[in-house]
Amino acid sequence: MPLKYAINPDICLKLTKDKCGTCEEVCPANAIDYTQTEEHITINAGSIIYSPGFTPFDPSKFDNYQYANFPNVITSMEFERILSATGPTMGHVTTFPKLPLNPKKKKDKLLAQKRKDPKKIAWFQCVGSRDINKCDNPYCSSVCCMYAVKEAIIAKEHAGGDLDCSIFYMDMRTPGKEFEKYYENAKDKHGINFIRTKVHSVTENPETHDLNIRYVDDFGQIVDDTYDMIVLSVGLEISEETKALSEKLGIDLTSNGFCKTNSFEPVTSSRDGIYISGVFNNPKDIPDSVLDASAAASAAGDALSSARDTLTKSVEKIEEINVVGERPRIGAFICDCGSNIKGVVDCEAVTEYAKTLPYVEFADESMYACSQDAQSKMVDFIKEKNLNRIVIAACTPKTHEPLFQETLANSGLNKYLFEMTNIRNHNSWVHKNNPDIATQKAKDLVRMAVAKAALAEPLKEEKINVNDSVVVVGGGLAGMTSAKSLATQGYSTHIIEKNNQLGGEAHKLYKTAQGEDVQTQLNELIKEVENNDNITVHCNTTLESADGFVGNFKSTLKSDDKEFELEYGIAVLATGAKAFVPDEYEYGNDERIITSLDLDKMFKVNDTKLDTINSAVFIQCVGSRQPDRPYCSRVCCTHSIDNAIELKKRNPKMNVFIIYRDIRTYGESELLYKEARNLGVIFIRYEVDKKPEVTIKGKNLFIKVTDHVLNMPVEIKTDMLTLATAIVPRKDEKLANFFKVPLNDEGFFIEKHAKLGPAEFATSGVFLAGSGHYPKPVNEAITQGRASASRALTLLAKKDSLFTSGIIANVDPLKCSECGVCVSICPYSAPMFATEGRFEGKAEVNPVLCKGCGLCVASCRSGALHLRGFDTNQIFSQIFALGEVV
Amino acid sequence: MAENNIKIVSFLCNWCSYGAADLAGVSRMEYPADIRVIRIPCSGRMSPKFILSAFREGADAVWVSG
Amino acid sequence: MGNLLEHMGIERDRVHFSWISSAEATKFVDVVKEISEKVRALGPNKKLVKDYN
Repeated sequence: MPLKYAINPDICLKLTKDKCGTCEEVCPANAIDYTQTEEHITINAGSIIYSPGFTPFDPSKFDNYQYANFPNVITSMEFERILSATGPTMGHVTTFPKLPLNPKKKKDKLLAQKRKDPKKIAWFQCVGSRDINKCDNPYCSSVCCMYAVKEAIIAKEHAGGDLDCSIFYMDMRTPGKEFEKYYENAKDKHGINFIRTKVHSVTENPETHDLNIRYVDDFGQIVDDTYDMIVLSVGLEISEETKALSEKLGIDLTSNGFCKTNSFEPVTSSRDGIYISGVFNNPKDIPDSVLDASAAASAAGDALSSARDTLTKSVEKIEEINVVGERPRIGAFICDCGSNIKGVVDCEAVTEYAKTLPYVEFADESMYACSQDAQSKMVDFIKEKNLNRIVIAACTPKTHEPLFQETLANSGLNKYLFEMTNIRNHNSWVHKNNPDIATQKAKDLVRMAVAKAALAEPLKEEKINVNDSVVVVGGGLAGMTSAKSLATQGYSTHIIEKNNQLGGEAHKLYKTAQGEDVQTQLNELIKEVENNDNITVHCNTTLESADGFVGNFKSTLKSDDKEFELEYGIAVLATGAKAFVPDEYEYGNDERIITSLDLDKMFKVNDTKLDTINSAVFIQCVGSRQPDRPYCSRVCCTHSIDNAIELKKRNPKMNVFIIYRDIRTYGESELLYKEARNLGVIFIRYEVDKKPEVTIKGKNLFIKVTDHVLNMPVEIKTDMLTLATAIVPRKDEKLANFFKVPLNDEGFFIEKHAKLGPAEFATSGVFLAGSGHYPKPVNEAITQGRASASRALTLLAKKDSLFTSGIIANVDPLKCSECGVCVSICPYSAPMFATEGRFEGKAEVNPVLCKGCGLCVASCRSGALHLRGFDTNQIFSQIFALGEVV
Repeated sequence: MAENNIKIVSFLCNWCSYGAADLAGVSRMEYPADIRVIRIPCSGRMSPKFILSAFREGADAVWVSG
Repeated sequence: MGNLLEHMGIERDRVHFSWISSAEATKFVDVVKEISEKVRALGPNKKLVKDYN
């Protein structure tokens, strides 16, 4: 969907009553066409990716929170807008934010006058989630706890220190990477109150519109309190339209309208060829949606691998004109951007001024320089006037530089013979009340750009040779999935596994949360991987070194004392994590005290001991969410509940207790929590400073814990104690050093971007999947495995058209004094000493590794380093241009 | 140079402050028109020579922002 | 840098360093305003300027 305006045909006066027509008159680009009608387009596609998203829950039907009637009860989505600098209150947190609805109405006007800075704001969690009384959404929406914490922190930042923020919740669910620390900081550093209760109802003081709430606190006391504002943390829902479309597409849905998937193919719908991603595939946050999207692309691509490159059209390449040695002939183009620039800046004057500048051959003003016809005109002018440098004064180069560079290339000019200056974002938009000054500033900016452009040189982009084989380190679920997808799409892939078999930790699991048998599907996957001709499996093998960079890695591998070398272009790190070995709760002193994985093993082999058990206890967060290991291990709540249900099903009379801190069954796993309660599993909450006590007295095993409902200690006699142990990272510093990728405090790999780059590293050509990133269940590990393959494919697929940027550093070897400052200072290890040739010992820059930051250029004492495109003389020319008397 | 017309030569990092300046524009914020922006690829590109040169060329102030 | 310039007679408030992320438009505007105010208080710089005449 392009970011353009559209006419709403239901309201448009021209279309409905044939009146008005003003937009056609005023549009300077003649873009309005009333005759357009709906079109049906048929596209032949081999795969479909279906990402219909969600709608926020509408709380107006809840009479207890009075969202529809009380002006100071708002939804979290509305609050998000209030916090935004571009929102209705410009980021200022105020009461009555929704008003005035109608400035002419007396009542609204009066309310608007009552606007004040709130002193107390409350968030109510689980509105439209985990609720089957007031709505039909039994699932957890997964994202609301985190966004409520975030909104509370930002509200406090905007409003200053004395704003009182309270979050009313049932379980605090922050099981994502770095989320638990964020939650702890919200409590300790930001002073946000967390109150575990469900507020029954809200009433309003009709005079002040303050909101009175009543709830029962942790000690069973009824509390009355008053707040200025209440934010309802609304859940995520699948809309009726999506459900209807899904039915048309023939896709199976769960009872809540989410797509039904298999944990081993988590982005594949029930209909062949349709792949899904996002919240439609279970409620999820941004990083998980991004992973889903990449994974869906990998699945869709796998299915089409035989058809790859059959429909590709290639662009005709225009021969580049050699301008070296020519006197600069600059063409300056001044953009009006409709009225965005022209409304403030006198563009005509700026254009006339540009014509007077040195080396400027030609200057022209255009209404929209980026429009199709302006672009083709530009090509004509370049040819006609024989221009060899181009200056464009318009919007920001960050969005439009590539577009204009393409125009240059189309007219045969090297795309670096170009300079863009920003007279919109940095000028007309921010000085709209000072047109004279803005025009003067625009002239200054154009003069600076012209001065720099005169010194621009054509730059070469070096072709990067990409070795198109891949090494996947780690043969667990994530690694195998990644390798399988890459191999299916035709790339030779090596799996390096240190154990004697593929499969990793998944061998220890019994069932997935959706009830699928893990071993059957795991063995199938192993067989597929082993039989794939494009995959070479190296078991009992470790990686001993890694040198090189994207497209050109080289490693020494060691297998049973034999060493061999491997050259490859891409690396996927899927080294996983392992179970924590507990050092508390008498673990190791009694064979009845086991871990979650031990219990899975008993289920797997159908251990006869299970038949003799009459009472079972689970303790959660063993090794997680405590000061020495502050993160949540994400999978344990669902795992224990799943196992508790299994025990109850085997023996309904068994007493099963789960001793927990917060139950974190996010998404549709919440349904398991509900099922466990229905089956009679008893849940007892504990606080981290009051951990349960385990004692072995003769033949008996006792667990003492303070019950949160009775507020009294209870002692449970049990036949089995399962410890839900943390998942700990392998903290493989050696591997991290090989590929120059970072580890966080706990030892998990740090991805390129926490939200937008969860399956790749900042180091180009190195990708990430599985629990080495963060603890995750089977389906999420597989999704990330696919996602890493998909990200790697974006590099592999364009291996013949991969070029370095032209903006890189280079060395003048005659000036280089071999001091080595550039070699030691570069964060990307791009400069190094030449080891052979005429300039042996002098520094040289590897164009593939250089990111063009210029750090080495600034540090070079001999003046031997130059940054192409931002060379010292170019920056000086801008400074000088500024100094010239106008 | 007129008394009320000062010039602040501003070296802005392409990835950070330059982006912030773009966003300030998108958000239609207003600020004094005294700055003249020179886009640099990274604040690491900065050299003391540029600051001295700017003053020599008559800048009233220099601002470097990463 | 500040010391050197001060030695040459250029006031500290004429050189500013800051770090602003690309999302912090408000901070950007605040910093511009702050610098502008300080420099306006100092008036035009006359030291070190190359004499074109």
